[in-house]
Amino acid sequence: MSELKQHDVSLTVNGKAETISVAPRASLADALRDTLGLTGTHIGCEHGVCGACTVLLDGKPVRSCLLFAVQAEGAVITTIEGIGDAQSPHPLQRAFNECHGLHCGFCTPGMIVTLSAFLKEHPQPTSDDVREAISGNLCMCTGYQNIVRSALRAAELIEGAKS
Amino acid sequence: MSAPKEFEVVGKRLNRLDGEGKVTGAAVYASDFTLPGMLHGKILRSPHAHARIVRIDTSAARKMPGVRAVVTGASQKLNRFGNFIKDFEVFANERVYHVGQPVAGIAADSEYAAEQALRAIEVEYAELPAVFDVMEALDKAAPLVHPDWQSLKAAPIIVREGNRCSRTVIKVGDVEEGFRNSYRVYEHVFRTSPVHAGYTEPRVAVAQWTASDQATVWCNTQLLFDTQSTLAEIFGIPPSHIRVIVPGIGGGFGGKLRLGMEHYAMALARAAKRPVRVMSSSEEELTAALFRQPATIELKTGVDRDGRILAKEGRIVVDAGACSGSGPLVASTGTMILAGPYRLPNANLEGISVYTNNHPNGSIRAPSGPMPNFATESQMDMIAEDLGLDPLELRLRNILREGDIAVNGQKMTAVGLEECLDKAATAIGWDLRKPGPNRGKGLACGWWMTSRGSSGSYLKLMQDGTLTMMVGVVEMGTGALTGAAQVVAEEMGMKLTDINVVSADSLTTPYDFGSQGSRTMFAVANASREAARDLLEKMRTRAAKALGTDEQALVMRDKAFWSDEKKITFAEIAAQANTAGGGLIAEATYIAPAVEHDASRVQNHFSPAWPSPSFHVHATDLSVDEVLGEVTINRYVVAQDVGYAINPTYLEGQLEGGAVQGVGQALSEEIIIANGHVKNGNLTDYKMPTAMDVPKIEVILVTHPSVAGPYGAKGVGEPPTIQPPAAVANAVAAACGKRIMHLPITAEKILLG
Repeated sequence: MSELKQHDVSLTVNGKAETISVAPRASLADALRDTLGLTGTHIGCEHGVCGACTVLLDGKPVRSCLLFAVQAEGAVITTIEGIGDAQSPHPLQRAFNECHGLHCGFCTPGMIVTLSAFLKEHPQPTSDDVREAISGNLCMCTGYQNIVRSALRAAELIEGAKS
Repeated sequence: MSAPKEFEVVGKRLNRLDGEGKVTGAAVYASDFTLPGMLHGKILRSPHAHARIVRIDTSAARKMPGVRAVVTGASQKLNRFGNFIKDFEVFANERVYHVGQPVAGIAADSEYAAEQALRAIEVEYAELPAVFDVMEALDKAAPLVHPDWQSLKAAPIIVREGNRCSRTVIKVGDVEEGFRNSYRVYEHVFRTSPVHAGYTEPRVAVAQWTASDQATVWCNTQLLFDTQSTLAEIFGIPPSHIRVIVPGIGGGFGGKLRLGMEHYAMALARAAKRPVRVMSSSEEELTAALFRQPATIELKTGVDRDGRILAKEGRIVVDAGACSGSGPLVASTGTMILAGPYRLPNANLEGISVYTNNHPNGSIRAPSGPMPNFATESQMDMIAEDLGLDPLELRLRNILREGDIAVNGQKMTAVGLEECLDKAATAIGWDLRKPGPNRGKGLACGWWMTSRGSSGSYLKLMQDGTLTMMVGVVEMGTGALTGAAQVVAEEMGMKLTDINVVSADSLTTPYDFGSQGSRTMFAVANASREAARDLLEKMRTRAAKALGTDEQALVMRDKAFWSDEKKITFAEIAAQANTAGGGLIAEATYIAPAVEHDASRVQNHFSPAWPSPSFHVHATDLSVDEVLGEVTINRYVVAQDVGYAINPTYLEGQLEGGAVQGVGQALSEEIIIANGHVKNGNLTDYKMPTAMDVPKIEVILVTHPSVAGPYGAKGVGEPPTIQPPAAVANAVAAACGKRIMHLPITAEKILLG
C-alpha cells in the first residue's frame, strides 16, 4: 500500500471515548463515517463550502472535511447521531421534521448541528440571525425557507421546555 | 368553482414518512452504501477540447500499489449511448471531443491509490481544431464535432445537419403578414449561461457483477428504468439482468436524470471482478457534470397600438455540448416557452440544439424553462415600456384564458393565469412600481406541463392492517411519495402512518417513468389511487362473506368494515386472506391521457401538447446599489396555479426552493467556460445563493383543478425555477434603468453594461 503508516487518535465522540487508527491524510469526516460508521455526517463538496459535514468540536461547529482526523486528538466531537435520536429527539430534530425543514435531507444533519450550537448562544433569534447562522450551509431544495422556520420553532420548543 | 371538499388525509400538512431518518442521520444515501471487498474507482479525463488519441500507456499505472483494474476505450467493448442520438462513449476511443471526457478508469483499494495511479497513465494527444460558440458551430466552415454524425444512430424525431443535432418548429398563420400589420416590431437577442443543478450529494454508484451477464448498481439516479436500459445497451446485456437500486438521493433537480457514475462503476467492476464504487469529486461536479444548457434566444415580436401581439418569430439555439444529451429535448420544448402563455395569431418558432466542443449538458429542473422565459418576459417589459403601457396590463391583454387555443393548437382548460397575475401583483404592491431611488418591481409569467410517462403501483394489505405501497420511483426530497401515500390513505380510510412505502428497486418495484417532469406525485398518486380502490373492493368482498351480509350493507370506519354491530378489521381481513385466501394484493398503472393539439402546426416536436398545463407568476421588489451594482431582493412573491394541494406544506416547499434556485441563476450562478475549460470549478467561485442572499419567499397557491390530476392536482416541481431570471431582470430595469440581456445579472453587468 502507498499509504503512510496509521496513527492512533483518541477522542470522545457523542459522549463515548474512542481510539481509532487512521491514515495521516484521513479527514475527520472520513474517520467518522468509515471508521466509526457515523454516516449521518454527509460529505458534499469536500472543500469546506457546503457545510453538509459540519460536526461540533468542543462545542463549536467545524467542517469535518477540512480537518485531518489526527487534528481531533483529545477533542470532544458531536455528530448528528449525538444531537438526539428518534426516542429523544433534539428540539431542532423535531422542528425540522414538523416544519418540513428537510427535503432531500442531505444538508439536514449539517444544518441541525450548526444550529444546535447557535441556539445555545442565541436562544431567541430573529430570522435574520438564523439566516446568518446557516449562511455557511448550502441547500438547493428548500430555498432555506423552512429551515429558518424550523430553527425559530426549535427556539420556541427549547424556551417552552424551560418554563 | 365549488368549494373544495374536506378530506381526512389529503390536503393536510402531515409530516414526511421518511422525515425521522433524515433528521437523526439514520437515513441511508447512495453515498453511504458500501459492499464487502469494494474497490474505489477514479476517472482520467481529457485535458483537451478536441484531440486525436495517439497512444495510451497504462502499464505503469497497472503496477502501482493497490491498483486492481485499469479500463480504457480499447480494453472493453462498450456500446455508444445517448437518449436521442448515440453520441456518448463511456471511455474515449479514437478522439476526445470535450475537456473532461473520460479516457480511462482505475479501480484500486482506496480512492487515494486510484488517484495516484491516474497520474501514471500516459496519454499522447494530437490536438484538433475545436469550436465553442454555437453560432460559429453552425457555420459551414466550422470543424465538425462529430465528423461521423451521419453514422451515429438517432431517434426518428431528430433532424440534423453537421453540428446542428436537432430542429423543432412551430408555425401558425403568417408571421410576415403579422409583422406587416404591426404598429411596432421589436427584435432582441438574449443569452444565458450554463448552471449546475445544485444537488449537494455528488453522483455516486456502486456496481457489482453477480454473473458474467448480470449486475446490480446502487446509485443516486432519478430514473431507475432509464438507467437500467441505458446500462443494458452499453454492456450489451438484457435490461432485466441489471438491477438498479437507489438507497437514497441527496438532491437531483434533473442533474441526476442521465448516467452519472453507473457505467464507470460497472466497467471497472467487471474488469476488477470486485464491487467498485465511483463517486464524483466536487471538482468533477463543477467541471464534468450535466449542466443546464447555455442558450441564445432571438426574438422578433410585432404588436398593434394596444400592445396585442400580432406576430412572433423566435429561435432558441441551445449549446448541447459535445454530445447531444438532452439538448434536442430542451431546444424542442423551448419553442413552447418562446411562445409563452399568450395568444399568438401568427408565430414561427424554432428550437435547435448544436454540437460544440464544450462539456455535454443535461436536463435541469424545467429544462427548457428559464432561458426562453427570460427572453420572452424581458421583451414583454421592453415592449410595454416603449408603448407606455403598464407591463401587467400588456400581459393581461395577451394572456391565454379559459377555452383559448394555444400556439400548438391545444385548447386551454383550468387556466389560472389571470388569477396568478392579479394576486402576485396585489401582493407585491404593483401600484407603486418604483418605491424609492434604485428600487423597483418586476414580474414575469409562464406556463409549463405535467409530463406524461407511466407509473405503476403495487399495494398489499399487511397482517397488522397496514398497507404497503411499492413504486418504482425515487423520493427525491419533494415529499412526492408521502403525498402519494396521503392519497392512498384517504382512499383506504387509513392514517398516513399506516402506509409503508417501498421504492426504487428496478427488480421488485413496477415500471415508472421516474422522478422528473413535475409528474412524480401526479402519476404515482393516480396509479396508487386506482390500486387502492381495487384493493378495497377485494377487501369488501371478503368482509361481506365473513360477516354474512351484502357488500352494499357494509360501512367502512376505523380500519374495519361494519355491518350493524358486527365488524371485521382490516387486520383480520388480511390474516384471513393470508391463511385461507392467498393474500390481498392489488396493482394499477397510470399514464396521463393524451392531449389534443394541431399536428399541422408542429414539426419534430418532442412535447407538442401539454398535459395538465400549469400557470405561474413571480413578482419581486428589489434594490440595486448604485455604487456596487449589487442587487438586494427585498420581497419575492410566487403565485402558482397548482390545481389542488395534496400537501400544502410540501407544495410551498417546492415553490420556495424553486424560486431561490431560479434567483441563483438570475443573479450569481454561472459555470464560466473558456475554450472548453471550466474556470470556476469550486463552490467558492461558483456562487449558489446562501440563506443571506434570499428573502422570505411569499407563496400564493391558486387552484384551478386539473381534470386528470389526483384530486385536481397539477405538476408543481419545475415551474418555480422558470420565472425568476425574467422577474429579476424586469425589476432591475425598473430600479435602475439597466436592461440586462445576458444571464446572470451580475454587479459588473449592471455597472458596466
